[in-house]
Amino acid sequence: MDPIAWLSGSLGVPYWAVRAVAAPLVYPGLAAFMVVALFIIWAERKIAARVQMRVGPLYVSRRLGGALQVLADGVRIAFQEIIIPVGVEKWSFVLSPILAFTVVSLAFTMVPGGPGIYGFRSSLSLLATYAIVTLTPILVIVMGWASNNKFSYIGAGREALVSITGEATLLASLLAAAMMYGSMDFVEIVEAQMRSHVPGLVANPVAALLFFIAALLVTDRLPFDLVLGEQEIVQGPYTEYTGLLFALSMALGYAKLYVLMLVFTHVFLAGWAPFTSPLLGSIAVFAKTLLLMLVAVFLRSVYGRMRLDQVASMFWSKLFPLALVAFVVSALIHPIYAP
Amino acid sequence: MTRLLLPGMEGRVLGERGGLRVVELYIGAQHPASGHMRLIVYLDGDMIVRVDPDIGYVHRTVEKLAETREYVRVISLVERMTIIDACNVTLPYVEAVERLLGVEAPPRARYLRTILCEINRVSSHLYGLGLGGIFLNHSTMYMWAFGDREVFVHLASLLTGSRLTHTYPVFGGVRRDLPQSFRDEFEKAKRYMLRRLREYDKVFFNNPVIRGRLEGVGVLPREKAVALGATGPNLRASGVRYDARMTGYAAYRDLGFEPVVGREGDALERVWVRLREIEASLELVERALRELPDGPFIDERYTRAVPPAVRHWLEKGRLKLPGGYVRLKTRPGEALGRGEMGRGEITYYLVSDGGMKPYRLRVVTPSARNVVLFDALARGHTLMDLPAVYGSIDYFPPEADR
Amino acid sequence: MAGSAGGDRHRSRPGLVRAHLEAIATAARRLLEPPMTMPIPDYGDARVPGYRGVVLFDYDKCIGCSLCAQICPARAIKMYRVPGDKRLRPGYNVGRCIFCGLCTDICPTDALSESIVHDRVYDDVPSMDMDPVDWAVWSRRVLEEERKPGRPLLRARVDPERGLVYERVDAEGGPVAEEKGEER
Ligand code: SF4
Ligand code: SF4
Repeated sequence: MDPIAWLSGSLGVPYWAVRAVAAPLVYPGLAAFMVVALFIIWAERKIAARVQMRVGPLYVSRRLGGALQVLADGVRIAFQEIIIPVGVEKWSFVLSPILAFTVVSLAFTMVPGGPGIYGFRSSLSLLATYAIVTLTPILVIVMGWASNNKFSYIGAGREALVSITGEATLLASLLAAAMMYGSMDFVEIVEAQMRSHVPGLVANPVAALLFFIAALLVTDRLPFDLVLGEQEIVQGPYTEYTGLLFALSMALGYAKLYVLMLVFTHVFLAGWAPFTSPLLGSIAVFAKTLLLMLVAVFLRSVYGRMRLDQVASMFWSKLFPLALVAFVVSALIHPIYAP
Repeated sequence: MTRLLLPGMEGRVLGERGGLRVVELYIGAQHPASGHMRLIVYLDGDMIVRVDPDIGYVHRTVEKLAETREYVRVISLVERMTIIDACNVTLPYVEAVERLLGVEAPPRARYLRTILCEINRVSSHLYGLGLGGIFLNHSTMYMWAFGDREVFVHLASLLTGSRLTHTYPVFGGVRRDLPQSFRDEFEKAKRYMLRRLREYDKVFFNNPVIRGRLEGVGVLPREKAVALGATGPNLRASGVRYDARMTGYAAYRDLGFEPVVGREGDALERVWVRLREIEASLELVERALRELPDGPFIDERYTRAVPPAVRHWLEKGRLKLPGGYVRLKTRPGEALGRGEMGRGEITYYLVSDGGMKPYRLRVVTPSARNVVLFDALARGHTLMDLPAVYGSIDYFPPEADR
Repeated sequence: MAGSAGGDRHRSRPGLVRAHLEAIATAARRLLEPPMTMPIPDYGDARVPGYRGVVLFDYDKCIGCSLCAQICPARAIKMYRVPGDKRLRPGYNVGRCIFCGLCTDICPTDALSESIVHDRVYDDVPSMDMDPVDWAVWSRRVLEEERKPGRPLLRARVDPERGLVYERVDAEGGPVAEEKGEER
């Protein structure tokens, strides 16, 4: 049974229009992201707690092991006063986090959540998703500038450096993968992997690893949380934010992580394979994405923060050249994905 | 040329100082990684050109207050400078007063003092390691060190009845005898801690990310360390074989104490010295427990005057003090107390005019001596290295401010 | 011995990939192990024997010598004149007390003793400052609470595998059989 077909039938709207609204708003879009964020932040805290021999969130919903803690925190933050400091540039201060989150949400129109579950299909959807995700640093820099705070300003500078550094590698690994499949369309990429029964992770592990590491960098995950830099610059560009605006700017990182891990699932983990039905396929995609995000948040309890210059030199002098290796691997291996 | 003035520029404007265009960054006193102090950092780009530690936020006039209290009441006052290292901070004071009183602690008391001092040192180092970890945003090291410190806090409370402010050494001895369960519990704690140190090595010390943050950062050459008067693990990490315990106070002479000495003097070496000192301290406590002499835990002179009705406490290993203990009079003169705390050497200079209260008590704490290192070590590094430097010198503001 | 001079931190340095894998594996191993924290507030802390908490006062044993007030470093104890009593008696400000236990050490009778509580809640600041009679009455109440704890008690014990483990004890410190696994 296809819920989209049923909806379009009963509303009398064309199939594609229902899909174009449902995908970004429900799944894999905002509603699904809410669930993911609630779960992953809880999991992040719980995993860190267990590694650190603590209990972690517990008392909000004891039976669920404190799973509703994030919801409780979210409610509290939602009702918190939004403080706009005197010296800030009001409009850019208020609008940039909202705009940044909106921009990231646009990616949900492109990335499929399962077979046939997407807003638009385009032969360049991979590139478009990348472009959308990498638009946000500009808005983060605006946030840092508008905050009128030295810590935010330094954080904005770091964001500029980090985004340039990370995105080069991110793009290179994506292009290597696209070259391997001979396509930039998520659906075709997944189908190519299903046809040959070789997931991209096996075919080109170099590109997969690079993508994962670069994704950690552009989403401010440890060991690359330079922009947040709590111990130096106190959340960097987000220092002055409170209430919902703070929640939005924090959700920004998780939204980017979610989108990028969805992309990883499609490009390197064969998307909805081994299922072809929309429901089971969607579950497969969702589960793979969550698993990847769990790995990403687990790293929080293993690493500290790397230094700025070390990150830059690691990416430019080690990982980016490695991306060229990924291209070579793709060139060698692409015949297995030939239609 | 007109200056470009964008709206709201004042927050980001660059300052001019000493001919350099610098950003003045005020880190603290409300900052997640400043402690009870403020660091005024001058940045040229991302490079630190100067650090001014602004101390004194937790100054409690300990030296002056000491002049207003009887000797025994000063013990728990000086303890407040570093409650996480309570035995080490009070012992040199107690020994200085003992010298003026002309008493000496019996051997068993000296050993018990050593045992508690070393347990305090382990927990103090773990505290420093934990903070050093979170300064690099390594939350696991932070939580692990603080969790494992709890083991040693537990051991200390078994011995003294108090988790942190033990007020354990008193003039002429200590306040409690070794409880029966202690040896057994310590044995287990030692096995546990040695295992955990291997895990620290894997997750923190050998972790490539952490290595990258600490290695070669804040190098303190040997000569400079001596010239600046750095002390404690920071000094030993630079290759200076100096430790106040080498003077052999308490039971250190009998135990054949050997300091841990590093070589390179960078942040990693300082962390390494602390990790190895934890091992050495465990070793020392074990030796002290093995060689613990029998006998009283407080000088006969004081137990003689204890009223018979409460003497049974002494047999049970609990101190009972005679009434005259509050009004102890020392001979006029001066005495020096030195001891090695977790963070370095502490010195007490005590002047007595023959009364019941100190005439003057001068205290130099290790953190007060180490505060110069902020500027000396951080210069030329990036802003991101500042927490690494701070964490590696294990600076404790309440101790420095007194 | 462990504290040998001039050790080498480089000797044990593993290769880059191995170091990463070891760090991840060590953290992952801990993920599967139980926490070492004490489940407060569901359980109370039974404290170690001889723990120094708030000071309890037995009016009948006191001889009014005022030594406790003299030794108290925090000036938590003051001597009061009690109507109908010729001698001065000690009063106690629990808000000032630093739980050093010196007063119990110097008391020539057993009038003062230590409890295992230090974390009580008081209605207001004045109620923390007690005159001798109040102190004696309050002490009896604290003792009773100590005998009948409001929640099950746990006592910490060092464990060579897990750091600290906790066992159920009753108010006297005797072990109690665990009814069921604690829910975490
Ligand atoms: S325990 Fe210490 S601070 Fe408290 S009343 Fe007794 S002497 Fe004073
Ligand atoms: S020391 Fe003991 S006997 Fe003396 S006044 Fe205090 S409580 Fe009473």
